[in-house]
Amino acid sequence: MDSAQIEREAADWLAKRDGGDWNEADERAFADWQDQSTAHRVAVVRIKTIWQKADRLQALGAGVPRGQIPAPGSWHLSPFFGHGKPPTQPAPAEGSASFDSDEVEETAAHAALYRARPKKTTAPPLVALRAVAAALVLGVGAASAWYFTTHDPNAYRSAIGYTKVVSLADGSTVTLNTNSAIHVALMATERRVDLVRGEAFFEVAKDPKRPFVVSTANKRIVAVGTKFSVFRGDLDTRVVVTEGQVKVEEVQSGGSMGPVTQLPAGSVAQAGSAGVLVKHSSVAEAETYMSWRSGYIALRDTALADAVEEFNRYNQKQLVIADPSIAQIRIGGNLRATNVEAFVRVLDEGFAVHAEDQGNRIVLTGKANPR
Amino acid sequence: MNDTLEQWFAREILAHEQSLVRYLTRIWPNRDDVPDLRQEIYIRVFESAQKSRPELPKSFLFTTARHLMTDRLRRSRIIFIGARGDLDELNVLVDELSPEHHMTSIQELQQLAHAFDGLPTQCRTVMWLRKVEQLSQKEVAAQLGVHEKAVEKQVARGMRLLTAAVLAGNEIAALNEQLDASKSEIEHG
Repeated sequence: MDSAQIEREAADWLAKRDGGDWNEADERAFADWQDQSTAHRVAVVRIKTIWQKADRLQALGAGVPRGQIPAPGSWHLSPFFGHGKPPTQPAPAEGSASFDSDEVEETAAHAALYRARPKKTTAPPLVALRAVAAALVLGVGAASAWYFTTHDPNAYRSAIGYTKVVSLADGSTVTLNTNSAIHVALMATERRVDLVRGEAFFEVAKDPKRPFVVSTANKRIVAVGTKFSVFRGDLDTRVVVTEGQVKVEEVQSGGSMGPVTQLPAGSVAQAGSAGVLVKHSSVAEAETYMSWRSGYIALRDTALADAVEEFNRYNQKQLVIADPSIAQIRIGGNLRATNVEAFVRVLDEGFAVHAEDQGNRIVLTGKANPR
Repeated sequence: MNDTLEQWFAREILAHEQSLVRYLTRIWPNRDDVPDLRQEIYIRVFESAQKSRPELPKSFLFTTARHLMTDRLRRSRIIFIGARGDLDELNVLVDELSPEHHMTSIQELQQLAHAFDGLPTQCRTVMWLRKVEQLSQKEVAAQLGVHEKAVEKQVARGMRLLTAAVLAGNEIAALNEQLDASKSEIEHG
């Protein structure tokens, strides 16, 4: 058995699956191929393991403008990476870090890298990237087609399961929750952040002359110096204030301003097309909405259906409730957002919920009604 | 829910791949055979674990490796030449294995970054957009103005090269050289 050939085939399958056109027939054919021999299965496990681990490379992108690709070795300049080349052999470490990386540590490492990266990163100019792109184009023969749609140094986004801390030039800090995107424009009269998708926590530096405005589909959240988070849902915008005061403005069709709602610290506001619903609670309670910043999902007497929706924001592997009888089970507790396996295990052990891992999703059913 | 066989395999077996490859390379006369040996060992371990998972995965892995090499040597009647030693060495070396190396999170990132830097330029560009900027293959293709199939090809290549570099600890540059390595160390009897 030629291991190199099998590895190539396994990589071809996984790369195809990683792409856009993957249908059920492909899924079946891939499953058949894996069933053909253990060698095939093992080759897939090896590549899959590293491919998932390679998501950690995101840490290298912190602070690098989109569309720019730093030259090889740039990271070793960073004090974060220590001196000289990385060791080819891992040095023995204290404790026993598991093979799977710890997500919280990941966020910390990410933040450390972000801060430690020296300003004079040797990123090649866009021209160099264009040269690379042109080289790629040669193989396909569409030489005039290259363009850069997403090169924008004021755009920031985070991947699924990751948070990202962005320091703005005015001294404010934005923390992006999972799968979120913002666009920043700091102007003389206004500091403007468009929340394109997802959720972000804002620690706004005081500047009475330049209000800090967060925009979603049809809401403007205006602050001067305060701490609050905004979540852009499909229909509603949720605003949670933990310090100071913000106001929510309705943007009406045509651009005119609608009613304004004042939100003091401790407010949890749900702003939809019908208006703004405000719940006044303690600051401590409002802060539970920010638990994602430390990597946790806080569930408080939450319906399983809502908890599942929350988990699905943080994970590629989606949870699916296939049994309406369990959707309203109430659960509480603090759970690691990216550890969907632990969540499912708790459900399986503590509640009457059966979980079936189907690879790219986990299907939940009631134990009384197994599928 | 227990972890799946594949998760177990990644955690308990693949974690030792570097040690395993070092061990095989040290013992086996022809390093070109090492990837196939490794695959054969993995198949045995995986199939055995399907029935029941060994209590000491690492020992089981290396015992399997030793048995496999012994079988192969007897069957093919390869004669060792030079300093590579004889069958007895197999038994000794298992106990001499270097102590457990667990990497810290930061060391893992370092290792990944190093492997990433070793990728061929085009492949590295695609990997950056796909894995660092987390664009989809479609978006990468649009950004570079190339066909999606070309991106998929680079992704497949990147997957293979990163796996070889990170798991087995090979330098990517050395992977190609290995193919040309001299085979003069063995003779068939």
